[in-house]
Amino acid sequence: MSGLGVIPPDLASQVSAFTARLRDRHDFLIGPGETADALRALGAVDVLERREVRGALRAVLSASPEQARLFDLEFNAFFRVEGAAQPKLPPLLPETKAPGTEQQTEAGQPPPPRPGQQPAPKPTRAPAPDDAPDPDEDAPDSQAPGQPLDGDDTAPPDDAAVPSLRARLSPNAAPGQAVQAGGDDLPELLRAASALVRSLQLGRARRLKPQPNRGPKLDARRTLRAAARTAGDATLLRWLGRPRRAPRFLLVIDGSRSMGADATLLLRFAQALHLRSRRVEVYAFSTGLTRLTPALRQAAPGVPLALPDLGEAWGGGTRIGENLLRLAREERARVNRDTLVLILSDGLDTGEPALVSRALRDLRAQAGQVVWLSPLAALPGYQPVQRAIMAALPFLDALLPVASVADLHALPRRLSTARR
Amino acid sequence: MNAARPAPDAWPSPADLQEAFLTRGYVADDALATALRLVVALGKPLLLEGPAGVGKTEAAKTLAGVLGTRLIRLQCYEGLDAQSALYEWNYARQLLHLRAAELGGLGGVTDEDLYSERFLMARPLLQAIREERAPVLLIDEVDRADDAFEAFLLELLAEWQITVPELGTIEARTRPHVILTSNRSRELSDALRRRCLYHWTEYPSRAQELAIVHARLPGVNETLAQQVTNAVHALRALPLGKPPGVAETLDWAAALVSLHADHLDAAGIRATLGAVLKLREDQLLAAPTLQGLAAQAAAGHQSGA
Repeated sequence: MSGLGVIPPDLASQVSAFTARLRDRHDFLIGPGETADALRALGAVDVLERREVRGALRAVLSASPEQARLFDLEFNAFFRVEGAAQPKLPPLLPETKAPGTEQQTEAGQPPPPRPGQQPAPKPTRAPAPDDAPDPDEDAPDSQAPGQPLDGDDTAPPDDAAVPSLRARLSPNAAPGQAVQAGGDDLPELLRAASALVRSLQLGRARRLKPQPNRGPKLDARRTLRAAARTAGDATLLRWLGRPRRAPRFLLVIDGSRSMGADATLLLRFAQALHLRSRRVEVYAFSTGLTRLTPALRQAAPGVPLALPDLGEAWGGGTRIGENLLRLAREERARVNRDTLVLILSDGLDTGEPALVSRALRDLRAQAGQVVWLSPLAALPGYQPVQRAIMAALPFLDALLPVASVADLHALPRRLSTARR
Repeated sequence: MNAARPAPDAWPSPADLQEAFLTRGYVADDALATALRLVVALGKPLLLEGPAGVGKTEAAKTLAGVLGTRLIRLQCYEGLDAQSALYEWNYARQLLHLRAAELGGLGGVTDEDLYSERFLMARPLLQAIREERAPVLLIDEVDRADDAFEAFLLELLAEWQITVPELGTIEARTRPHVILTSNRSRELSDALRRRCLYHWTEYPSRAQELAIVHARLPGVNETLAQQVTNAVHALRALPLGKPPGVAETLDWAAALVSLHADHLDAAGIRATLGAVLKLREDQLLAAPTLQGLAAQAAAGHQSGA
């Protein structure tokens, strides 16, 4: 406890530099207030204990598991152990290139970030019991300007590059690649997205709100206030009712090679939907599954949509069942009766159909509606004979075609027909 | 900030806090102990996120025990509104009061009579800011509440005061130690996150979980504790719909102890499976894994015997 409450001036300036680094490199929402809180937090722990310093700064400066992981990497790089070998690993993250600009040199080896450049969002990972990366692990950074702190940290490898490496080695996967989903149809897609958001009414909120007409419950407060007009007799009754609630969307896009341009169309539609509603979750899968919501959140509207290397989630083979099962598990808490699950896939799969059934049964049990969108269904004379589609059909509310913007415009009408 | 804060040095260090937690059967890692230390030292709320069953709620309860203060819990749910969380007027009693005044010929019941403390029913948030000694305020599963309630919390957590239109503004006597928990069933706003300290609680490692089993169930057989812990970790690696949390590990071990089991075997697993896997599909999916573990445990037990 020797250092408790005393912050060396050097450390204070380093913390300021460190917070600036988190803000500039990774868009952490850190202002002067957070920097001041970080310094106050250091006053409450022993600054000679590296673990306490890291824990205190992490608690103040990070705000999500993804940020906590980035924080650990940056902290270990910034306050590196004196004399520790610098790890020979690629930079922290695959960086998102500014939309419209190009050339990533090699998958997993993006160029270092430039000031103001958007960092690549990190896909959410399912919690793994023992193989989760240790926050004590050191991160690579040869430009780290920080001074060493006392501590016992070692420099084990970062696993950020593992997914794309695995993607390259998988027999079913193509090499990881950046995804360009540009197109000049955003206004059209925004109209289609607005129509879908407006038309969809899956359930009523549980919250009771004052209603102009009769509701299921008396609003005592408003009734008593109204009684003032009738000399205290509660003759003018006021009611609380349950309003319609905005729908949620869970979009799952099959990004395998066979999907071609249809997947990028749906990706743009997902972006448009995201611009119209906050309640949109988007995933892509090929041989692996990746959450795209953070990437879409950061994408600038009005410019061609460009995503970083999605590794196993794009451009490879197809494993529908196991990815949908993983999705059902990861999204279990978020899917409710207000959720419309939209799965975009052609159903061409080499995996186990039983897994598709299990996943869709789980999703169907929780969601308001589960709809499969297939580009093949737009072909004349289409028959749903693909194994995955056949396994999924008993749990679907609708199997609809989607091969063009017109199909997306028709989606609200087709969904309402399917509900009847 | 109107509510008073004690001097930071008056509070235990992270290491002391960790030890105090351990004596109450809660194994807190360094990062959690530091975050909790900051809750009391900085007076900022702590947002605890993590999968279900990793001990988020229990952390708040234990903190209240360690600090020797009251735990006030607000369980969030869909549809929770500010009124239910803050205060409500006892309308029935107000009406009775009015009628009694009329019948008794008292007349002249004023607003001040009707909207007085007497008819005010304090809900958890109001209770928390009126406590003389700073309580631990647990806002549990905040992700289940609506956006509107989250926005309402922002004001309370920033100003530590609330306004009852009929009474005026009530300032906090002492600032509560606030812990919010979330299972990430909904993305919380950046505004709420910025007002909170943050800690992600992960499933414990095998060694940590074994320590938890021993701390909570002091009489448990060492072999059984290890086998249960290993089995739970093997189950968490499966694509289950509802992976077992630490609470399930403890329930399972306690169930086996109640059957006088000193090691895992097929019969014991069959009899107690409902304590650890709560979905039929998960039980079917995990059956081969559990059979393998039971065979392995039985072989080890025989060779040991």
